[in-house]
Amino acid sequence: MRLPSLLHKELIQFTRDRVVLFLILWLYTVEVVICAYALSLDMQDLPLVVADADHSPASRELVRAFTESGDFRLMAQLDDPAAVTGYLERGQARAVLVIGEGFARHLLEGSEQQLQLLVDGSNANTAAVARGYALQTVEAFQRQWAALPETPAPGVIPHLRTWYNPGVTNVSFVVLSMITLAGLMVGVAHPAASIVREKEAGTIEQLMVTPVRTEELFFAKTLPTLLVGLVALFPSLALVGWFGVPVRGSLALFFCLTALFLISAIGLGVLVAAISRTLQQALLLTFFGLFPLMFLSGTLVPVESMPRLLQAASLASPLRHYLDITLGIFLKGTGLDILWPHVLALVLIGLPLYGIAWVIFRRQ
Amino acid sequence: MKLKRIAAVATKEAREVLRDPITLGVALLMPLIMLLLFGYAITLDVDDIALGVLDEDHSPASRQLQQAFTASDTFRLSASLQHHREVERTLQEGEARLVLVIPSGFQRRLYRGEASPVQLVVDGSYSATATLVSQRAMAIARGFERQEGSTLLSLDTRVWFNPSLSSVHTVVPALYAVILMAFPPLLTALALVREKETGTIQQIYASPLSAAQFLCGKLVPYGVIACLQMAMVIAAGLLWFGVPFHGSPGVLLAVSLLYVLCTLGIGLLVSAVTSTQLAAMLAVLIITLMPSFLFSGLLFPIFTMPYLLQLYTLLFPGRYFVDIARGVVLKGVGVEVLWPSITVVALYTLLILVLAAWRLKKRVA
Repeated sequence: MRLPSLLHKELIQFTRDRVVLFLILWLYTVEVVICAYALSLDMQDLPLVVADADHSPASRELVRAFTESGDFRLMAQLDDPAAVTGYLERGQARAVLVIGEGFARHLLEGSEQQLQLLVDGSNANTAAVARGYALQTVEAFQRQWAALPETPAPGVIPHLRTWYNPGVTNVSFVVLSMITLAGLMVGVAHPAASIVREKEAGTIEQLMVTPVRTEELFFAKTLPTLLVGLVALFPSLALVGWFGVPVRGSLALFFCLTALFLISAIGLGVLVAAISRTLQQALLLTFFGLFPLMFLSGTLVPVESMPRLLQAASLASPLRHYLDITLGIFLKGTGLDILWPHVLALVLIGLPLYGIAWVIFRRQ
Repeated sequence: MKLKRIAAVATKEAREVLRDPITLGVALLMPLIMLLLFGYAITLDVDDIALGVLDEDHSPASRQLQQAFTASDTFRLSASLQHHREVERTLQEGEARLVLVIPSGFQRRLYRGEASPVQLVVDGSYSATATLVSQRAMAIARGFERQEGSTLLSLDTRVWFNPSLSSVHTVVPALYAVILMAFPPLLTALALVREKETGTIQQIYASPLSAAQFLCGKLVPYGVIACLQMAMVIAAGLLWFGVPFHGSPGVLLAVSLLYVLCTLGIGLLVSAVTSTQLAAMLAVLIITLMPSFLFSGLLFPIFTMPYLLQLYTLLFPGRYFVDIARGVVLKGVGVEVLWPSITVVALYTLLILVLAAWRLKKRVA
């Protein structure tokens, strides 16, 4: 009888803090929507400025080739190449195309010539993409305009197939990864806060003198988070449907493994609670802990791009395994037969956290 | 008299911080750890991608094509497959991100000068990686054994401000904006909400302190911490990552101070609308940290976002500071170019502080 009443108390406390409930719901829904719409991979509308000294039909045609694909957006067309500096400095253009005088004449004569592209390197990624787009455009333009000698042998023709995400859109990935992120934040922060709050307010002493056993208190503190974490998945799943993210695997398996992930996240929260005395400490430590975990999970930056050492470190982040599980179930339709190493890893990460937290708790 | 009271509050707050090793440790170490982690980890260059090969041709040419893939740093051979059935499993298990399928007859067609198809199967689940992997793989396959046709038009690309296209140089200046957005608001919000949650704020209300004096006193120690964080982060960026500094340090310093004031103000505002520390932390996470990460142009350029969301990014000061920091550090420009962003940050700060003071005053009265 003691456990249900303790649980009841925890749930009441939980639902009383409306702001927290609102923020949790926000993380699971609004944040997911915003990110899914905003964070796209294919770069479009790169701001472009053209300095055209040739003013010929051919040069205008080239400019049109740049803008009509949607890769570039023409911000301004200048006569004076000296004025382009300001555009790049102010960030109004990410790339500047300089067409020299005599462009059309050289093209007709069939003599070699150079076009110049200035790229703003302050964002290295954007710059690389801009360069790639420009190269493609110029190549296509040249095939169309210049009378080239016989095309070389066709050679190797690669056929690209992207599985699990045929359009290579970012939407599925962003939606799923944001849901996993929300699970981590709530799973760690909430139990840490609810335990330390009792410590700080001194009410934990009152609980200690009641016949409630440590393990009962433990359960009562962690179960509500688990429940909330699972219930909050429902609105997220509605969003999954809304964005047309495929569900190829079993949702039941997803719920079970989410519970497992939340348990290991809660373990971290409990550990934080065990070593901190004030709520401020607990929350700062949570923040401190969340960051590397989020970062090393592949949700924000692909793990493959990281240095070796960080790639190895990422194996310790439960979020990384959970993300692989989630992507596997939703996009690849994999089951336990393939996902078991990640499941095992979650268990192996969770157990010691609980063990340490348990020992510290008992001592107190 | 007034200053004395502010000093008293500030001393009390400073003592509390100094007595608390965890808070102090997190406040001073975390920005550095974040900088190191992000500086190294945020690169969008891919290396060492696991490659699976299904070679049905077993010819010298097919082996050469494999070598063309593995000779680059981008790919590393992780699985040699024997049968079509294994392709799916390799990708599902994540043993390879890309499988190259060379059909039989590859060499024969290639040497006859016919089109010789191969298949590249990419795991699209990590979309960012998939995009980069496909581009590299297509380039390698297309360039294999091909004589260049003559070109009349060539493109001479000059990269300004960051000629080596180094990700670190892109990321580190922008991180100043993120890191300064992460800690000062959290620390100030927690410091104020803590007094609310434990009820000690009633004692403050009962004392002769005015709201402004109390707030100033509270802000001073965290302002000092924020400035220390900023100095450490900028120094680490320069010395450790060797990010070139083209502009004037004075300008960056002055704008950073303004920005720090702005972040402290956001912390104040959060503390005015929340009553528990957990709520304050989650609010800080949503209002400051995530937007300054995702919607500041640090990773995802703003111009590709849909128009409505571009407007949404205008709400967060991190975006302006990213522009300013990159402008000063990489482009070497000064106030004459950056004044619009600087003005916005200044107005923003003013607005936030007025709003926070107004909300808190209402509480006190």
